Amino acid sequence: MKQVSAKIISNTEVMPGCYLLCAEAPDIAAMAGPGQFVMVKCGDKLTLRRPFSITSVTNSGLYILYSLIGKGTLWLTQRRKGKELDLLGPLGNGFYIEPATKNLLLVAGGIGVAPLVFLAQQAIGREKSVTLLLGARTAAGLYPTKFLPAGVQTVVTTEDGSRSRKGMVSDILPDYTDQADQIYACGPVAMYQAIAEQIQKQKKEKSIQVSLEIRMGCGLGACYSCSIKTKNGMKQVCQDGPVFDMNEIIWQEVKI
Amino acid sequence: MIDTSVQLAPSHVKGLLLKNPVITASGTFGYGMEYSQLFDIQKLGAIVCKGTTLKSREGNPQPRLVETASGLLNSVGLENIGVEAVVRDKASIWAQWHVPVIVNIAGENMDEYAQVATRLEGVPGVSGIEVNISCPNVKSGGMECGTDPKIAAEVTAAVKAATSLPVIVKLSPNVTDIVEIAVAVCQAGADALCLINTVRGMTLDIKKRRPSLGTMMGGLSGPAIKPIALYMVYKVAGVAKVPIIGCGGISCAEDALEFIMAGASAVQVGTATLSKPQAALDVLEGIKQFAEREGIGNLRDIVGIARVQ
Repeated sequence: MKQVSAKIISNTEVMPGCYLLCAEAPDIAAMAGPGQFVMVKCGDKLTLRRPFSITSVTNSGLYILYSLIGKGTLWLTQRRKGKELDLLGPLGNGFYIEPATKNLLLVAGGIGVAPLVFLAQQAIGREKSVTLLLGARTAAGLYPTKFLPAGVQTVVTTEDGSRSRKGMVSDILPDYTDQADQIYACGPVAMYQAIAEQIQKQKKEKSIQVSLEIRMGCGLGACYSCSIKTKNGMKQVCQDGPVFDMNEIIWQEVKI
Repeated sequence: MIDTSVQLAPSHVKGLLLKNPVITASGTFGYGMEYSQLFDIQKLGAIVCKGTTLKSREGNPQPRLVETASGLLNSVGLENIGVEAVVRDKASIWAQWHVPVIVNIAGENMDEYAQVATRLEGVPGVSGIEVNISCPNVKSGGMECGTDPKIAAEVTAAVKAATSLPVIVKLSPNVTDIVEIAVAVCQAGADALCLINTVRGMTLDIKKRRPSLGTMMGGLSGPAIKPIALYMVYKVAGVAKVPIIGCGGISCAEDALEFIMAGASAVQVGTATLSKPQAALDVLEGIKQFAEREGIGNLRDIVGIARVQ
């Protein structure tokens, strides 16, 4: 974990209301793993930093995919190339790939694709096979496949049918679970619940890792603002998570 | 070079000598080690750890945080690992540090406060106790024990009787007359006072048509409460015979200097740490620079200097 001042390399809208920011932060990039996040100081006026999943890393920098939802992200969209960004990270417990795993199934709902891109990057680097089920409300909300690592097999769904198959990623999930050694998901809680139901129906023991989103104070386990009750007791999302085994989660505790 | 040292418990046999007056506030700095990768925490005047109760507590339901204009509302609800785990897992690490660690304690009744203090007695690594008298008192019908001078004094006396460590009492601002409470806990033997704790408040989520926090209301901290805290420190400094630690919205050296000039001997930095982890050290550095510029040789010389006689 480090606090750095990182120069913004680029910060562009890649989907309506969604931005991909690249910052020069080699120290954080070198330490980071998929599923980990950074706390970004969005100006001097806001009391809290904002947590963002690391979307991918290069030798010199890291990418953050974010959507414009409030004061912090509005400030971020206005930050131009060349400006400095105060980053704290990498933070949290990320995704874990079992050494024996050959096939990874990634399930992304909307902006939830953010940490899964990094996971795909790492998995392909380890010569694993990666299938990504990428869902969004409309075609415009789909993460551009040109930003995905080469070699990822992508299957797309849209809720309105404006691109590829109409429906949700959870609808097509059963067709892909058999070949998957490990499943990873990031998206809204409703998507996680739909996935849990599908897996239950199949009566198969599958390890599913999910990334949770919650308001955070410090980002490093000091303030206990992001704690949730799980089947294994109280957990700090910032430090014990944000990635959890789906079986651990008590849905009413995270539906907030 | 300015002398920044401060004795927070001058009438206590052990005393509580700090090398400088800048302390990290309870609840925003965990148990100290969380921040040790980011800066040299040994440079702090002291660290006050997370509020500690007799048994571990799960705290309140989510959401526990809402950002407000220049502030932050929280309803963490004293989630903590409990005093046994603090003694077992944290104190042994603190014992190796130069920086003194003060354990913030809370209880659901008088006995619990005394029991937590008793458990900390003689534990290496613990330099003092800060009593959080702002939590709901179950026995008196959920009313905060810090809002009644008599109960506040009883809690103070109970902790004093249970420990040989210096005792700081952290006062709640959610009272009609904080001076009355301050006088009562001083008479009960408090070695120092810390003020203020968070100010009660709420926000609503207009889309959900519900309070934003899981517990409806919470405690407001951050720059928004600084003028409230400063006024209370100023008022209490006029009557208190023990050192005062100013706390509430301090995020820069200028803020801290205001509290010191109002009568505080030391300051705590809390919410500011969340966005700027090293905020407390920046405050310290700024105080030193101010002293140098203004030719102040000893920080004690400006404690209460702004008070109108």
